Amino acid sequence: MRLKHYRDLKIYKQESITGYLFILPYSIGFLLFQGLPFFLSFIISLTNLRYVSKLDEVRFVGIGNFTAMIHDKSVIEAMLTSLKYCLMYVPLTMMLALLFALILNQKVYARNFLRTLLFMPYVSNIVAVSVIFSILLSPTNGLVNTFLRSLGVENPPMWLLGTETALPTVVMIACWQQMGMQMVIYLAALQDVPRELTESAEIDGANAWQRFSKIILPVISPTTFFLTITTIIGSLKNFSIIQTLTEGGPGSSTSVLPVSIVRTAFGSFRLGYASAQGMVLFAFVMLITVIQWRGQKKWVNYM
Amino acid sequence: MSQDRISYAKKKSSWLIIDKLKENAFNKGLTLLLFVVGAVNIFPFLFMISSSFKPLNQIFEFPFRLIPKDFVLNNYVGLFSPDYYFKRWYANSAIMVLSTIIVKSIVIGPAAYAFSRLRFRGRDKIFLIFLATLMIPGDVTIVPRYVVYKMLGITDTMWSLVLPNAFDVFFVFMLRQFFVSIPFTLTEAAIIDGCNHFKVFYKIILPNAKPAFITMVIFTFIWGWNDYMGPYIFITDTKRQMLTVGIQMFQTGYAENYGLQMAAAALTLVPVILLFLSAQKFFIEGVATSGIKG
Repeated sequence: MRLKHYRDLKIYKQESITGYLFILPYSIGFLLFQGLPFFLSFIISLTNLRYVSKLDEVRFVGIGNFTAMIHDKSVIEAMLTSLKYCLMYVPLTMMLALLFALILNQKVYARNFLRTLLFMPYVSNIVAVSVIFSILLSPTNGLVNTFLRSLGVENPPMWLLGTETALPTVVMIACWQQMGMQMVIYLAALQDVPRELTESAEIDGANAWQRFSKIILPVISPTTFFLTITTIIGSLKNFSIIQTLTEGGPGSSTSVLPVSIVRTAFGSFRLGYASAQGMVLFAFVMLITVIQWRGQKKWVNYM
Repeated sequence: MSQDRISYAKKKSSWLIIDKLKENAFNKGLTLLLFVVGAVNIFPFLFMISSSFKPLNQIFEFPFRLIPKDFVLNNYVGLFSPDYYFKRWYANSAIMVLSTIIVKSIVIGPAAYAFSRLRFRGRDKIFLIFLATLMIPGDVTIVPRYVVYKMLGITDTMWSLVLPNAFDVFFVFMLRQFFVSIPFTLTEAAIIDGCNHFKVFYKIILPNAKPAFITMVIFTFIWGWNDYMGPYIFITDTKRQMLTVGIQMFQTGYAENYGLQMAAAALTLVPVILLFLSAQKFFIEGVATSGIKG
């Protein structure tokens, strides 16, 4: 007697049915709340949709929204601001995260307590953070500037209220709040670096810097690769932190692309145009990921 | 000859001791450095708690006092006065987060079980499609999300926040990875003994996957509680607003009352920080092992 193929067995059929039933509730919700919006964002970006209640007025405008963007100074500026934010935020956060993870990985005392202190801002509420910092960094009577004046600084920075300083200040606050996550992931990677590698290098006379640059850095490069991608993506979806800290101001100095999207959609009710800007943001994310993915062969070592 | 050896050994051991001392001093230095950085790091929180107990004229006082000179409670009392919706926002946020946790646990557990344990046609392809959407940042789809929720009629209700968070892809992935690490022999033995899959999930997988579920609950709580963009876009009715956007109204509406803002900020942070401190083992391990999204 030949054995039946397992796909023809009754137990497999039952298992299949159970499987579909188990994923059914989730799949419906997924299609409705994740799949459908993503699919629609392509379509909406090709229309002149303004109000959800007046769907009969919607016209298909092709790539009109995208060509309009090229001449729209405020959108171009928003893209550049997003880029500046990304260029400041990503290196700063990654370097500080690695630095603190390296220190925590040494034989420091009270390591868990210190890790908690450094991680704590991550779980904090962004609006609460903005309330605190707007008072701490108030140019006239905030604690930071009072302190700077007492040190003899005559014109302390305007922080969140200065056109030049607002973006770097937001970056610093964002880094303070979010760095803990990268740090903890780096710390886990550092704890996985095989001891025999660093120890044998030490016996062979490698100094601390050589051990770091020639052994530790290459070994943790997959983590660096992963973190770089997620940190860049994270830095491009910064609506919440910008809106709560500066609302895109002063002027348009911190109006990043997500802020522009929300304003276009819910301030001037141009949903189609806003969706097109969202597509551009998505294209940036994909582009960066593809570049990283292609480039990883050169510097990422999988053991 | 042997004398030489002994002196060499002595010299060597004294070097070792010096090395040890040096290393000790180095580590003490690093610890001290980290304590300073850590203190600076949590200073904003200390400032917040201390200011929330100060009368208005002492908040900007320099040099800063951690312990208020005049200890007052009227900032907190003021928050709960009928002039503000603070209590209501607090309740809204709590109900919203708890509903998210409940719905999420019901839908995600079985899906992750199916992806890790059951064989059916197209399983891995469906899973990959789900995973691919992790690459899409939420800011990109904000407009179509608004359109879809409007059509479903859930804008201005907490469901516009509960449902999208409940169907989050990330935790399907995380739970699946965890379920795969539970020995298959356990579940297969149960099947042979006549358990159906529902029972296997309930009696074997759930008890064994407790850490993963706790991680999911903690993250869901913290992300839901701290979410700003969702309520900002989807909820316009002040009474139905969530805490995060609600307390922002304190900032714009009552600009001069800094003590009140600080008290509101403190009460917003308290549940999350308590949760984090009590469950940080799960939280940090969850981050480290699964590489949570940023």
